[in-house]
Amino acid sequence: MTITDTFAQHPVLSADRPAQMAAAKALRAARARKGAIAYHTAGAAIVLFFAAPFVIAGLSSFRNGTEAQTAPLPPWPTAGFSVDSYRTLDSFGAGIWQHTVNSALVSLATVLLTVLVSLLAGYGFSRYRFPFKNALFVLIIATLMIPFQSILTPLFIILAKLGLNNSLFGLTLVYVTLQLPFSVFMMRNAFDAVPKEIEEAARIDGARDLRLLARVLLPLVLPGVATVAIFAFLNAWNEFLAALVLLSSNEHYTLPVLMMAVRAGRLGAINWGAVQAGVVVMTIPCLFVFLLLQRYYMRGLMAGAVK
Amino acid sequence: MNMIARDMSHPAGSEATAAAPSPSVELVDVCKSFGALQVIHGINLTIPEGSFAVFVGPSGCGKSTLLRMIAGLEEVSDGLIAIKGREVTDLDPSERGIAMVFQSYALYPHMTVRDNLAFGLKMAHTPAEEIAARVAAAAAILKIEPLMDRRPGQLSGGQRQRVAIGRAIVRKPDVFLFDEPLSNLDAELRVSMRIEIARLHRELGNTMIYVTHDQTEAMTLADRIVVLRDGRIEQVGSPREVYQDPDNLFVAGFIGSPRMNMLTASMQGEERLLLAKTVLPSPARAASGDVVTLGIRPEHLRLVPDNEEGLSAQVDFCEYLGGTQYLYCRLPDGQAIVAEHRDRATVFAGAPVRLGWSTGDARLFDSQGQRLR
Ligand SMILES: Nc1ncnc2c1ncn2[C@@H]1O[C@H](COP(=O)(O)OP(=O)(O)O)[C@@H](O)[C@H]1O
Ligand SMILES: [Mg+2]
Repeated sequence: MTITDTFAQHPVLSADRPAQMAAAKALRAARARKGAIAYHTAGAAIVLFFAAPFVIAGLSSFRNGTEAQTAPLPPWPTAGFSVDSYRTLDSFGAGIWQHTVNSALVSLATVLLTVLVSLLAGYGFSRYRFPFKNALFVLIIATLMIPFQSILTPLFIILAKLGLNNSLFGLTLVYVTLQLPFSVFMMRNAFDAVPKEIEEAARIDGARDLRLLARVLLPLVLPGVATVAIFAFLNAWNEFLAALVLLSSNEHYTLPVLMMAVRAGRLGAINWGAVQAGVVVMTIPCLFVFLLLQRYYMRGLMAGAVK
Repeated sequence: MNMIARDMSHPAGSEATAAAPSPSVELVDVCKSFGALQVIHGINLTIPEGSFAVFVGPSGCGKSTLLRMIAGLEEVSDGLIAIKGREVTDLDPSERGIAMVFQSYALYPHMTVRDNLAFGLKMAHTPAEEIAARVAAAAAILKIEPLMDRRPGQLSGGQRQRVAIGRAIVRKPDVFLFDEPLSNLDAELRVSMRIEIARLHRELGNTMIYVTHDQTEAMTLADRIVVLRDGRIEQVGSPREVYQDPDNLFVAGFIGSPRMNMLTASMQGEERLLLAKTVLPSPARAASGDVVTLGIRPEHLRLVPDNEEGLSAQVDFCEYLGGTQYLYCRLPDGQAIVAEHRDRATVFAGAPVRLGWSTGDARLFDSQGQRLR
């Protein structure tokens, strides 16, 4: 007797098969619908929760001149849209455009240098054998435990000696230094995840050194590079304390330092509209960078390489 | 180069040369240590042009390490390597005229199949038309033309392995190196890829070196098997030689499935031995009283009537495989013995049987495991 026969004679299943099947199908459909509703409701709630700060800041930055002077309650324009707040913002410091360019220069240079150095360092730590390799690596990671505020004074002195204080380039170097431990760690992990055989296949195919790195390995560690780039950009873009200490002239200020001035307001009166406008200006590049790179950040490129 | 020529005339250096055609790969006293751990102990080996050599041995015996040294992916600690009469010991992998297929395929995941195949040629600055022609030719040989614009992630395991082999073919190497290329495939695909690789060898005629721990793969593919154990060569020979004429117990036990029966016996006079309280003719001479091992393959055992020469045994259990049946038996002295039984007549567990063989099919080994002839 086969298994099918056994079921055919089973009393529960044999009674009225078509009707039973239809009922089971309806039940499954109802369950799937319920699941979908719950899923989308929860999703919508989470989106609302995370989008709210952006929406509030965005809307309240468009309140008109007099309204902008008051605390942002309710946080949307009640007397018509206006860009007064952005004009006010522009009147601080050397103009919002100048400070945005400062911030962008420092952040992009930080990203570039951090990626370049951590890519090479990560590759070296992952693939080469040299004396004190692990000790050096631990040392690099250990610097993450030192609060950077505590080395701000030495950094200031070093930059002064190098003639780099009050310069965006000096600030960039400081940011790269602060960013490197985490980035080297990330990149080493990324290279460790690339199977050795791929590199060996490339060596047999005649790719060596920088060509190997650029043509074969770089595409494979791109998710790591994206992560490093995102973190370097966000940290450099938002950094305040080092910028405040190391930059002394008005026209070199980055956006966070400018925002400090805006926040302090004139004659003690806080211009809430200008603050919100500044928040918006500062947020947009961050969102842009994240949206641009997040697909690499999320995607595992290794699929199909091995196994 | 001179040094190699001199060394190869030395008997130890020409272990595998038997009036062979020009050598394709020569290894002379090749050693490898990882730190203090020596894993390859002075390998001397010559692989003739156009042959299919298989390195076989248990896991961890150094097969991959040896292959990777030939490829140039691993530095040799000592010794010399020559490929096609050219000393390559310290050359870069890309300059040795080799191509390698890895167990894990090691395709470039960010490139299409076409780019995977073309990559090596691009690195060598081959003209574009020639790249296209060679890639197309390799694709035709492996029947992967419909896959050319896909990425490795969109391929099945068998297809990936084909691409990996294709990447080796386009390089037109002197020597193909395979490191367990079929281990990641399922059983059925493994058999068909095995046949494919054999066909490839026939069509291309290149020297191939193939590493596997699977003695079936070794037997079916090789024209020259190199049995390795713990970084040393145990025996080199054709599949027939290592199967029928093993030099020692290790080779005898490793080649052949199910394993050869190894029965402990003692010599009674120089030409007879005592095994499980029975005196039997010995397949080779040894000093009287010596403890020896009698090796006899399951397929050489047959059930014989009580009046014929043989060993009485009890069947512990039977494996029925359709065409054949394996009888797991126990001798009166407790030693286990497996017999292959091709007869229709079913044998049941618990049955007493009498196992006979012709003396010429048995092999004799001394207490050190070396073959006595
Ligand atoms: N890079 C390495 N460092 C240290 N030991 C290694 C390395 N590669 C292989 N070995 C050791 O060498 C021995 C042989 O390895 P391998 O050649 O991979 O064996 P097989 O391929 O025969 O399974 C093993 O004991 C392994 O642990
Ligand atoms: Mg191996």
